[in-house]
Amino acid sequence: MPERTDRPFPPGDYPVVVVGSGPGGLQTSYYLDRLGIDHAVISADPSPGGMFRHFPFFQRLLSWTKPYGPVPRDDRFYEWYDWNSLLAEEPENKAIMPELMDGSSSFPSRPEMERNLATYVERTGLRVRYGCTWEGTRRDGDRFVLQTSDGEYHCQVAIFAVGVAQPFKPDTPGFEHVAHYVDTRTPDTYAGKRLFIAGKENSAFELATGLLQWAQRIVLCSPRPAKLSVNTHSLLGVRARYIQPVEDRILGGGVFMLDASINRIDRLGSGFRILCSRSEGGAELAVDADEVIAATGFVCPLRDLADIGVSMFGRSQLPSMTNYWESATVPGVYFAGTIGQGVSGMKKYGLPANSGAVHGARYNARTMVYHVARKHFNVDLPMPAVEPARLVDMLLEEATRAPELWNQKSYLARSFLLDPSTGILDEGIVPLADFVDTEGLAAVAIAVETDDTGDIHPAVYVREQGRPAVETLLSSQSLHDFRTAEHRAQLSSLLSGVTAGAAK
Amino acid sequence: MALSPQELVDTLAGLSLFADLSRPQLEQVAHKMTEESYPVGQRILRQGFTGTGFYVILDGEVVVKIDGDERARLQKGDFFGEMSILLGEPPVADVVTTRQLHVLHLGGPELEGFLRDHPPVMYRMLKTVALRLRNASRLRS
Amino acid sequence: MPPKPGEVTSALARVPLFDGISEESMERLVAVTGELEFEADQFIVIQGQVGTGLYVILDGAARVVRGSDELARLGPNDFFGELSVIDQQPRNASVQAIEPTRCLALASWDLLDLLESDPKLALNLIRGLAARVRGQGELHRH
Repeated sequence: MPERTDRPFPPGDYPVVVVGSGPGGLQTSYYLDRLGIDHAVISADPSPGGMFRHFPFFQRLLSWTKPYGPVPRDDRFYEWYDWNSLLAEEPENKAIMPELMDGSSSFPSRPEMERNLATYVERTGLRVRYGCTWEGTRRDGDRFVLQTSDGEYHCQVAIFAVGVAQPFKPDTPGFEHVAHYVDTRTPDTYAGKRLFIAGKENSAFELATGLLQWAQRIVLCSPRPAKLSVNTHSLLGVRARYIQPVEDRILGGGVFMLDASINRIDRLGSGFRILCSRSEGGAELAVDADEVIAATGFVCPLRDLADIGVSMFGRSQLPSMTNYWESATVPGVYFAGTIGQGVSGMKKYGLPANSGAVHGARYNARTMVYHVARKHFNVDLPMPAVEPARLVDMLLEEATRAPELWNQKSYLARSFLLDPSTGILDEGIVPLADFVDTEGLAAVAIAVETDDTGDIHPAVYVREQGRPAVETLLSSQSLHDFRTAEHRAQLSSLLSGVTAGAAK
Repeated sequence: MALSPQELVDTLAGLSLFADLSRPQLEQVAHKMTEESYPVGQRILRQGFTGTGFYVILDGEVVVKIDGDERARLQKGDFFGEMSILLGEPPVADVVTTRQLHVLHLGGPELEGFLRDHPPVMYRMLKTVALRLRNASRLRS
Repeated sequence: MPPKPGEVTSALARVPLFDGISEESMERLVAVTGELEFEADQFIVIQGQVGTGLYVILDGAARVVRGSDELARLGPNDFFGELSVIDQQPRNASVQAIEPTRCLALASWDLLDLLESDPKLALNLIRGLAARVRGQGELHRH
């Protein structure tokens, strides 16, 4: 078992450098190793885990792992019931999270999650140079140079898995005086205090829930009303776990939710006075508080990447990326982990995929690494041939049991090429948005999708040679098993014209 | 580069779709919609596909194509997707990025509620659709 | 001569823009629709002017003129300015009464006020126009 004190990857020249040792960096490194692509992994942290070394503060994770789930842990589809383990090909390295849970909750605690990632590193033998902080970046011809606290790293491809964990506070006057979510102290220090929380998303509600029995009064303030996941029928919005403050507010127990913009925060004695304008009508009001916490989110700590041309967008300052998580403006720069949420994909009905969470990001990392291997290092994964008669069954099998498709609905798909000269080839998992818009070889892809009613059904995309793909939705099925005669018939007739050409 | 929240609101204030909104209302709009970035050559609206969203362009350009024929180009301040959502039908055109595109996105199911919450935006949209009808009629007659 | 009961409603109902709106919305529209009378040879609207409203002819006759060309003749139940009432684009032709003519007139500002308080009506109008842009409705004059 490698000791934490050994420091692999001294500064120098590597084909790839991965920055970060959270889930994104670790998953990326695992697959680079599998493909035999030499790379360095550097991390500013002293140990693995990324943001899970600190967050969430109070509660358990929002992502489930069911130790006693509907399918056994060695079943491929178990990954749909385990959102916290990283992927691996070896049985002993898969599904590590449930081993560390006692079954009393389907949601791991933060320490359990951190241990999960550390165990993955130990078992897979992943190496990371800890305590090496990325400080700056420049280009040197067609290579990148990463300046770090230990010296310079030169590489052909740089993969940044640095998370979206840099605290952000608005530049509204007075915010410089107040604590950010990351500075939250132990709950007992808020006993009897009037607490004002700027924000109404998950982090704000996590704090409100955790401090509910300590604070004398809690005011949550942001311009728009809280969006609750139980109302959006999705994972969008404040999760059910954090509804307690909402109920408290309804009952008039000391929680208040203000829909207002904060104009300024002034010190008032040992506390604060917050001046706001109501969103409805614009009336101004002042709220006094002993403690103010800015649960105003995070941005992506991309340091000086803008200086080498990486373009960014949005309030989290995510990089603009291609469908393979490559910088849209600087080829050779890639991103892994939660940053991948900046690739929107199809976003049908406005529903995002799970790229911001481990259970989506882990598949994105694998797909991204395969792409990097092909594009930059001529390492091509084999595409197994498929018997034409088996194609329909394979597609329906994927729709029913592929964890990639279930975890990343409308985002990742299983693709089969239908070129007459080669026969049917299994292309594996592809980003759906790339598949449907690429005018390439004839192919068919299947994804699992949901709509605004919550209906879950397969979606088939057929691409004829040189034309963008055409969508056909298949029916849903009450037990989510799409391997029915009806589905076979629907899919067979859909493919009859297209596959005829590819049949040997 | 990335717009700060204030810069985003400033940008929205300059778009004709939102021209009649007050600053707090613009902030509400900025919060309800999601900023997204798409690379070149990506379809944002796809002919015949379900699940369309509503998009307002903040920066960049798209081309509107029907069966491969270019029909229009849209830039900053222009919007698209609302016709499909309001009619409950898939798009009849492809909308493809010609440059890197920075947009605000609102999920289809949220559009009607959004328009009801912001009548001035609905009126501006109505005017734009009326103008499209004028142009469509002119082409045909 | 004031409009007969129901005359305004049935005249407005003929305008495709108002296809399918609710009874309530129609009542509100009727409440803000006025009536105007024009003498023979009087111009109802002039080419190039900002379009400020929708007109539906109740009695009489008018001709549509662009420059010196007469493009069409309009009679009872014909209408124009259907899109102008929304977008106030300049009139692309003049409309001149040939004989004493009585028209319903809906001003764009009155419609706008109504839309702000009747989002259902506004949504209906957008949907209707969108459907017509898609080619599902009838083509329209003016």
